Amino acid sequence: MKKTLREMRPVYVVGIGLHRYQRLSETPYVALGLTAVREALRDAGIEWRSVESAYTGTALIGMAAGRPMLRHLGATGIAMAQVENASASGSTAVRQACLDVASGLTDVSLAVGVDKPAPLALASAKTNIRDLVGRRVVPFTHFALLANEYMNRYGATAEQVASVAVKNNRNGANNPYAQRQRAVTLEEVLAGSPISGALTRLQCCPIGEGAAAVIVASDDAITKLGITRSRAVRVTASVSRSERVYHGAKNFDAELTRETVAQAYDEARISPDDLDVVELHDAFTIEELLYVEAMGLCGEGEGARMITSGEADIGGRCAISASGGLLAMGHPIGPTGVGQVAEITRQLRGEAGVRQQPDARVGLAHMVGVGAVCVVHVLQKDA
Amino acid sequence: MPEGASESSLFSASPEPALNGGRCRACGYVFFPPQWYGCESCGAPAEQLEPKSLRGEGTLASFATVHLYQGKDIEAPFTVGVIVLDDGPAIRAILAQRTDEGLRIGDRMRAVVVAVDGEGGRANELRFAKQETVR
Ligand SMILES: [Zn+2]
Repeated sequence: MKKTLREMRPVYVVGIGLHRYQRLSETPYVALGLTAVREALRDAGIEWRSVESAYTGTALIGMAAGRPMLRHLGATGIAMAQVENASASGSTAVRQACLDVASGLTDVSLAVGVDKPAPLALASAKTNIRDLVGRRVVPFTHFALLANEYMNRYGATAEQVASVAVKNNRNGANNPYAQRQRAVTLEEVLAGSPISGALTRLQCCPIGEGAAAVIVASDDAITKLGITRSRAVRVTASVSRSERVYHGAKNFDAELTRETVAQAYDEARISPDDLDVVELHDAFTIEELLYVEAMGLCGEGEGARMITSGEADIGGRCAISASGGLLAMGHPIGPTGVGQVAEITRQLRGEAGVRQQPDARVGLAHMVGVGAVCVVHVLQKDA
Repeated sequence: MPEGASESSLFSASPEPALNGGRCRACGYVFFPPQWYGCESCGAPAEQLEPKSLRGEGTLASFATVHLYQGKDIEAPFTVGVIVLDDGPAIRAILAQRTDEGLRIGDRMRAVVVAVDGEGGRANELRFAKQETVR
């Protein structure tokens, strides 16, 4: 019989670590990744030799990125694989680590995301299927087109769309791991260089380098290794889906998120009202409006109102992108989905400092990858 | 290969500009761009897919003026539109006008063949224009 993650052996995040997201530097990816993994091991209070499998989420570094990095922790002979799933690479690495522990294959597993900016080589360019626009439409124009349609349909203004960047940069200003750590005004966002449609520079996420690591473990491992149980956060849903043909729907991205998140709610046995913190794929401002609606955090067309009303602020009804999101924390590709799970864990532990959402107990991490795919995790404290 | 729609496999210029799409005989799904691998909607194999000409007329569903572009095949700013063709599929195309001046969602659009100078010399591209601006 099929089982959901929640019906399998309980899985807990027990360690998190990051290397700051930043502009491309001379630092080798090995050093970025090791910084994150060592921080996660210290956070969990365990030794590398306790880790039984490792998944490296990366899209840009090249073939076989894992072992040249991880061997410097001591070559213990554990299972290793790289996970490439576009922007959802890191989220999928987390999912694979969770599945190892949930199934009983391992007691402790690692997901690490690491990347450095490099020229993209999209496989879809090799299908020999051409369209009328080719490379003239890149992600920022894809989302500028959705922004135009959204603003027209609901009467949302350019100011409302841009306000997402103001909120997320305010959060990022308090995140030492964020690439952009400076609060910005609405005027500043609107006055930035125009990129495409209504989107200005600060409404598009920075793509830099960095690393993030998450260690997941079973109940048995928590007991055996003496891990602090009160800091463990349970993963109660892990859902991965891909785009279908949505006959008649205007917005495939929103539809994919809607059905992936709905399945995650079902598996975790929660409703959108239960969510205290959400990290979502805000690569472009408009996405946050589309996805809070698709997640059922507000009604159709109410996303702009939700964001500008303060409901999505830290201290509001549900903190959206408390880390700064992709817009401020950054989107180094491989690390991004792992970093989301690290932020949710920090929030649910009550260890997020000035970014802390009060009494956060339930969180959701959401990534979309070009193609398109969508990966969602639900994390719960004391579940 | 140039990035624009200069490959004649994507459109026919006469008698009226039309898009070379496809149709699944098994489920009726109509699609653009054309492909002959298998039906995305029902999974029917290539043998079930047939060419279908799609009239170059439709309604503008959204648009965006691109200000940042590093390619050499077109100069920014240029404007991209999503057009829901009268024959079904929603497609993305470069618009005949460079900026979004005077454009409104819901505008009637019509395909036009535009000769453009690119790296490989002069080539025809299929673009879309507001209907009243065509003739
Ligand atoms: Zn079919």
